[in-house]
Amino acid sequence: MRKTWAGIGLSLILAVGLAGCSSGNVNNNDNNGAAGNGGATNGKSGTETQAPPVETGKPVQLKYWTDDRHDQEYIKEMVNTFNETNEDNIQVELTVMSENYAQSVDIAFSSKQAPDVLRLKTNIVGEFVKKGYLAPIDEYLTDEINTKFGSLQIDHVNRFDGKVYSLANTGLTLRLVYNKDLFEQAGIGQPPTSLQEMVDAAKQITEFGKSEGIYGFALNFKSPKSAFDRSIREILSLSGHQGLGFDLKTGQYDFTAYSQVIEYFKQMHEDGSVMPGAEALDIDPLRAQFAAGKIGMYLSFSTEPGVYQDQFPTEINWGGALAPTIDGQIKGTSEIVSAGTWLGISELSANKDAAWKFMEFMYGDDVLTTYHEKGFGIAIVPSIVEQAQDPEINGMEGFLVGEHDSLWPVAPIVTPEGAGYADAFYKYILAGGDLQAITEDLNTRYNDALAKAVEKGEVTVTPNPSFDPANPQGE
Amino acid sequence: MGLPRNLAEAPFLSPGGTKMNFKWRRLGENSLFLSPSIILTAVLGIYPILWMLRFMFYDYAGYGEPIFIGLDNFQRLMRDALFWESVGNTFIYAGGKLVLTLPVSMLLAVILNGKLRGSNLLRGIYFMPTIISTAVISVVFYTIFNSYNGMVNTLLMKMHLISQPIEWLGPKLAMLTVILVAVWGAVGNYMLLFLAGLQGIPKDLYESASIDGANAGRQFWSITLPMLAPVAQLVIMLAIIASLKGYESIMLITEGGPIGKTEVMYLYLYKLLFPVSTGSPVVQQFGYGSAVGFATALIVGAITGLYFLLSRKMNKVY
Repeated sequence: MRKTWAGIGLSLILAVGLAGCSSGNVNNNDNNGAAGNGGATNGKSGTETQAPPVETGKPVQLKYWTDDRHDQEYIKEMVNTFNETNEDNIQVELTVMSENYAQSVDIAFSSKQAPDVLRLKTNIVGEFVKKGYLAPIDEYLTDEINTKFGSLQIDHVNRFDGKVYSLANTGLTLRLVYNKDLFEQAGIGQPPTSLQEMVDAAKQITEFGKSEGIYGFALNFKSPKSAFDRSIREILSLSGHQGLGFDLKTGQYDFTAYSQVIEYFKQMHEDGSVMPGAEALDIDPLRAQFAAGKIGMYLSFSTEPGVYQDQFPTEINWGGALAPTIDGQIKGTSEIVSAGTWLGISELSANKDAAWKFMEFMYGDDVLTTYHEKGFGIAIVPSIVEQAQDPEINGMEGFLVGEHDSLWPVAPIVTPEGAGYADAFYKYILAGGDLQAITEDLNTRYNDALAKAVEKGEVTVTPNPSFDPANPQGE
Repeated sequence: MGLPRNLAEAPFLSPGGTKMNFKWRRLGENSLFLSPSIILTAVLGIYPILWMLRFMFYDYAGYGEPIFIGLDNFQRLMRDALFWESVGNTFIYAGGKLVLTLPVSMLLAVILNGKLRGSNLLRGIYFMPTIISTAVISVVFYTIFNSYNGMVNTLLMKMHLISQPIEWLGPKLAMLTVILVAVWGAVGNYMLLFLAGLQGIPKDLYESASIDGANAGRQFWSITLPMLAPVAQLVIMLAIIASLKGYESIMLITEGGPIGKTEVMYLYLYKLLFPVSTGSPVVQQFGYGSAVGFATALIVGAITGLYFLLSRKMNKVY
């Protein structure tokens, strides 16, 4: 009996000991943070959020989480530079998440092990603000900073209820990505400027190269939303319409212009100009096929030059051009997306001042200029755009911010009942139907969802009857 | 060494110990040993279910205050054409998978149960897909079946059997393709279960039948199948549940597309709770997702129950 109890006692001690070890991560070194999702760190020890004050002589430890992998070597270098040069005894530990960043942040905040500084992308920052994860940074914004970033402080992007949570760095432009060789071989002189030209070019290239498995057009239709949000969005904004089906003038959803573009996409499908299998295609297999010279054109973000330099090095002669418009007339501006946010401070951070000092360093001219010049993103901060050299990456010249690019007001995010616009329209492309009825149904469902979201206070809508798509920020 | 029959006389009891003391002590020990599994079940099983049961009456996106909306989520569920399409797709997927998996796995089990040379090696090979990650299987099959440079189309075109690529992952054939992937992944597992059942059948039954002049076919119908019935009942039940709940390979190969043709109900549920879109933000729908989760559990439970009711005779073979 004594042995039994001794065994039980030993088990309990072991269990408590193990539990103690695991919970000790809060106070000890745990490079993966709370989420433990396999993130890589910059190798500095000490990840304690509740760091001792500077007066004790011990460094203030900050945790910085990001899910950007394309720039991690440069960011690591900058973090190390900050750690070595700052005079406030601040040490930053960088953790680069591999996947599921938003979920990892959720877990970290719910277990009170949140990082001090977070990478904020525009598609998650609103949700993070609603969840109370972020601290406003207004108190740190000096006149100098306001001058530098002021024109890029935009409601529902980096400013919510009058409080600023992040500052801009780069944005993504969207372009038609085309294989110059195939265009030339098919006898097409210029990239298309209208949708009809795009349909014709896709047909011409397919007729020229189909026997060798070459097709005129492709998109990653495995996720229709991802495919349309990188293509139709841009076609519409350059044509003078908001790219996600929202009418900024009326403050209502109206997919009429969207449906016009869909007709051309359907035409390409019916012509057989779309690469077979595109309906199950992810973006990376698409890029691999483009790099292999099998696709005439597609539309995508300004991340593509980096992709064809590192991920899918290619010998083909390719370029980026402004997206075509509905009728060949540029009546709007090409929307710069994922712009307006970069870094933010955790509401739970015990070292917000130190976190701001790190942010201030990262938002310095040197870091932002080099970030652009190395091609990690396209600078949108006016003073950086002025002083930075063009990135030396093949193809990037077609994606640089020009006279036809601008930021657009944000469309409200609503969740309608039933199929979303992308799924509904893609179904029409593949299976046909009554496009007008589909469009009306989408208008009804999206506006119902919008009305409910407004009623619940989740979104605010202010119609702007004088909205000018050629000058979306009204400046 | 077995336990003493009369526990009160067990040598480890102190001379002054009573039966009551021993019972309390025993209860304490049992509780201690059971507590880890009880705690884990409560935290990882019961609590999430209770959480889900609560939120199916709420409008909740994962943040902010949940809003009580009564039965609105269930009313939405009734008129949600996408959900009911996914239920229909689930039946096609599960039916197709079962119709192919069960006979093939039983056939393989019967063949490998015989004195076949290299049968152990073959058992290992057939079982291998079970231990390979679904992600790997999905990538491999995507490489095999994709329309533009997949191995199947390349082979068929080289053999001049087709002139145009077949859209294996297109709207017409995507369901068949994902069923084939599922069958490939499941056959080895059920084969092993059938094999265990076959090895439990006494050999002397076959010897007696042989003496009586029964041929192999007769032995299969009159001995193997009836004797395998109790195991088969369990295997079929496991297969039904797994088929109704399966969605992982579909998510990776087609993401439920094209145009919802392979959207099964657990994938639909997954997307509500964890939006997979890589485009603009999509809001999580925990409240409605909980209602859908409850409905899917009910459907799977009802089908499993119905199966048990219809198959109860299988357990009374001998």
